[in-house]
Amino acid sequence: MNSIDDFVVLLRDELALSVTPEQVRQGFDAVPSWDSVHLLSLCTVLERETGRPLALSEVLEAPSLEAVYRLATGS
Amino acid sequence: MTQEAVRRQEPPSAPADAWARLVELHEAGELAAHYPRVRELLAELDDAAVLRAGNLLARLDPQQVLAAHPGTPAPGIAVTGHGTLSALRPALVAQAARHGLLARVELSDFDSWVFDLLTPDSDLYAARPQFALCVLDAEVVAGELPVPWSVADAERVLAAKLALVERAAEVFAQAAPGGTLVLNTLPLPRELTAQLVDLRSRARLGVLWREANVRLLRLPERWSQVVTVDLDPLLAAGLPARDVRQSVYAKAHLSAELLAGYAREVGHLLRQAAGGGKKVLALDLDGTLWGGVLGEVGPEGIEVSEGYRGEAFQRFQKVVRQLAAQGVLPAVVSKNDLEPVLKVLREHPGLAVRDEDFLQVRANWAPKHENLAAIARELNLSVDSVVFVDDSSFERGLVRRELPGVAVVAVGEEPARHVEDLLRDGWFDVRELTAEDRARPERYKEERARQDFLDTFDSLEGYLRELGVSVTLAPAAAEQIPRVSQITLRTNQFNLTTQRLQPADVEALAQSPDAQVLTIASADRFGDNGLVGAVLLRRAGDTVHVDNFLLSCRVFSRGIEQAALATVLADARATGARRVVGRYVPSAKNGKVADFYLRSGFVPVAGRDGEPGDGPGGEQAGPAEAVFEHDLADVPPPPAHIRLTARLRPAPEGNETA
Repeated sequence: MNSIDDFVVLLRDELALSVTPEQVRQGFDAVPSWDSVHLLSLCTVLERETGRPLALSEVLEAPSLEAVYRLATGS
Repeated sequence: MTQEAVRRQEPPSAPADAWARLVELHEAGELAAHYPRVRELLAELDDAAVLRAGNLLARLDPQQVLAAHPGTPAPGIAVTGHGTLSALRPALVAQAARHGLLARVELSDFDSWVFDLLTPDSDLYAARPQFALCVLDAEVVAGELPVPWSVADAERVLAAKLALVERAAEVFAQAAPGGTLVLNTLPLPRELTAQLVDLRSRARLGVLWREANVRLLRLPERWSQVVTVDLDPLLAAGLPARDVRQSVYAKAHLSAELLAGYAREVGHLLRQAAGGGKKVLALDLDGTLWGGVLGEVGPEGIEVSEGYRGEAFQRFQKVVRQLAAQGVLPAVVSKNDLEPVLKVLREHPGLAVRDEDFLQVRANWAPKHENLAAIARELNLSVDSVVFVDDSSFERGLVRRELPGVAVVAVGEEPARHVEDLLRDGWFDVRELTAEDRARPERYKEERARQDFLDTFDSLEGYLRELGVSVTLAPAAAEQIPRVSQITLRTNQFNLTTQRLQPADVEALAQSPDAQVLTIASADRFGDNGLVGAVLLRRAGDTVHVDNFLLSCRVFSRGIEQAALATVLADARATGARRVVGRYVPSAKNGKVADFYLRSGFVPVAGRDGEPGDGPGGEQAGPAEAVFEHDLADVPPPPAHIRLTARLRPAPEGNETA
């Protein structure tokens, strides 16, 4: 996973979330049919993809999907 | 073409294609419109992909699916429990869809299980779910321990929680008649035991914890509505009990993997309740039952019982026998010449499952789906009752495509995993095993002898006379209740209304003063058929309603159904009834009895348009039902070739109308 575009593909394939890169940058409110429970599955998926543990407490406080992406990739 | 050449071909539909097709349907908003196709696509996917598919399917509005496919069985499932259980919804939806069902899942508020289950007027009960899942975890106990805590504290909290669960079972039995309450054992976290530093206390906690789990596992003995899913075997298979961060931060105290395994077990419960019972285990031979290709290496060369791989295959053979002892009907479907196969099955000294264990041996070069269809036909079963096991992805793919109702089990190149692969899904799970189940393979073998006997007669009448059929019609005794329930759950063809009844429902009917639960038992010169059918009657004034009439497919067309119905009619007239009313509700499988009442002297009175069913959980009713009436003016005698013993009510003294 090297870019937001890869992240968008991952969200679609793993969580059945159809989002645009634009919505990823905005807050969770902008994401269609977002549910906070998706965050739990997303953590599992991201840890598997990146092979790195994720600070779940920080993810749960992240303001947007982009912030989650940055936590996962360390960027 | 050699077997190996066949194996190298691409399967007709690959997993990646199936996933792509699912996503395509989802994005086009067409999943609901193509719902029957979903089962076929899921069958192609591995476990992880099935879970991902659950995320897509969980977005579907069940009403849209039902609007497009009104006949889809759609069990209502209430999920309640202790922690965050959101991962369970997609898992349940996907598992149900694998079986062609549409799960209507209602997730309760966080940690509301006590209120949901102990309050008879809770929203959970108001929704009349067919299944209520009460998912508990170790935090139910750990979360209430004081700091510091001792074993005595744990004992006290465990006892209090168990009392609540037992009370829940009691209230459920009253408040949700016909429903099923699913409980689970509590995984014991090391994080808890290790907080006790002295080994004696630690062992004592282990004892208390397991005693609590034993009590949970014993609940179904007292309450037939309760099923307890034992999580220990899932944990022993390597599933993580939890992700501690998810537990601490998100209150998800059971891992997503464990919930997925749990959902798989619940999926099989849903399947059985919807009548999707599996009976036949159809096995490939080369690479499945033994190692090597018989046609190439000969009987001496195949790996049956000796050497590393032989031993692995023998484990698998023993499990096949183990299943057969519990009513599963094994059969062989192999691309081989018949003679060498029969020789191995009869004579190979190491083979743990032999020719007499198989009801059918189909070794030929015809496509396997044709052989599977022929096996089902010969056994008078629906092909959907077949579980097919093969190591060739080509053969599996073809069978999946041609016979989507067949459960296809993949075994791989590593025979040590065959047993695990076969048992991963509980295809043959039943709520309760009856004596009939155990005797089933024997009964089918007798049936084969009957068929051979039939072939020696010119006319069916002559055959039936010589067959010496005896029929006993009697009220269901207490010990027959589970079997009657099972007949309603598993009989699909000769099932006039397809109303499924759990044991508790049958018991309630049997005790109702207006209703009669009659059992049909039969025997003939080849043996005892056992309890083969049931007639459910209800009296309202001068009308006797036949609420359902069921007969096992093994004994159709021998005059047994006519004998039973004639007895019911004669009894109705003798006890002052003016008419007998019977209903036929069409299902996907019961077309052959659509004219059962017409052929028996009834006349149609009304055809009602489908209304929502009033069965447990408000199952969706199928298309229009038909109602028939018999005016009792001319009651036919039972067929002359049948020796009939009838006792329609539990009268203390001679009320026999032989």
